[in-house]
Amino acid sequence: MGTRLEVVLDNDVAELERLAGAVDGFVADAGLPPEVAFKLNLCFDELITNTVTYGYPDGGRHAIRVRLEADGREIRAEVEDDAAAFDPFTEAPPPDLDSDVDTRPIGGLGVYLVQRSMDRATYRREGGRNLVHLALAVPP
Amino acid sequence: MDITEEQTGGVAVLKPSGRIDSATAGEFEKRLVAAVGTGNRVVVDMAQLGYISSAGLRALLVAAKKARPAGGRIALAAMAPPIREVFDLSGFSSLFEIYPDGPAAVAALAA
Repeated sequence: MGTRLEVVLDNDVAELERLAGAVDGFVADAGLPPEVAFKLNLCFDELITNTVTYGYPDGGRHAIRVRLEADGREIRAEVEDDAAAFDPFTEAPPPDLDSDVDTRPIGGLGVYLVQRSMDRATYRREGGRNLVHLALAVPP
Repeated sequence: MDITEEQTGGVAVLKPSGRIDSATAGEFEKRLVAAVGTGNRVVVDMAQLGYISSAGLRALLVAAKKARPAGGRIALAAMAPPIREVFDLSGFSSLFEIYPDGPAAVAALAA
């Protein structure tokens, strides 16, 4: 027994709200707590925002596919796009979490939040596509 | 996302509702920077806020950097637990005064 969801988005951050609605529905249908939806939405938002903002230097309309599945133990997600090759988990620099307001750099937190929110976050390039896989244990 | 704004005891209270994501953070930043203006005291009451991403954190930091030299203050209030977790993970909990609810934040800034 499992629950699945697939959503295809345009490369536009305005699509994130529609995705969040679908993710909220998936989490409720799977009987998972709402904080799981928050974490998934945060990760999709951060990854897709980077892809939409930096991944398509030539512009144009592109499809970004989000897939989700859950069983009794784990929630697994995949984000697939045809943007420029980019491994967020090795190429994004670690953030500064300690300096004060005046010296704290603006930005650079998104990928870090993904890594801290999930139990696993991996990237691979395959057939001209970026594939990010995320996994989170079902909370007790 | 919608934002309501009111003035109470010399403090501007901004109440965003819904989601602050990368599509809506620009509007949030604009309203927040305008409220901070030339050194005002501002409370962001998050009681009706369901979601914030790093784009929302960015907006808060931009406004905080503008507020400091002008003598302005920004306090945050009524964060839902998953929002508080985002602040804790990102090291933003130490950048802002955080209060359990809106009235406590207003009282602290009005003092």
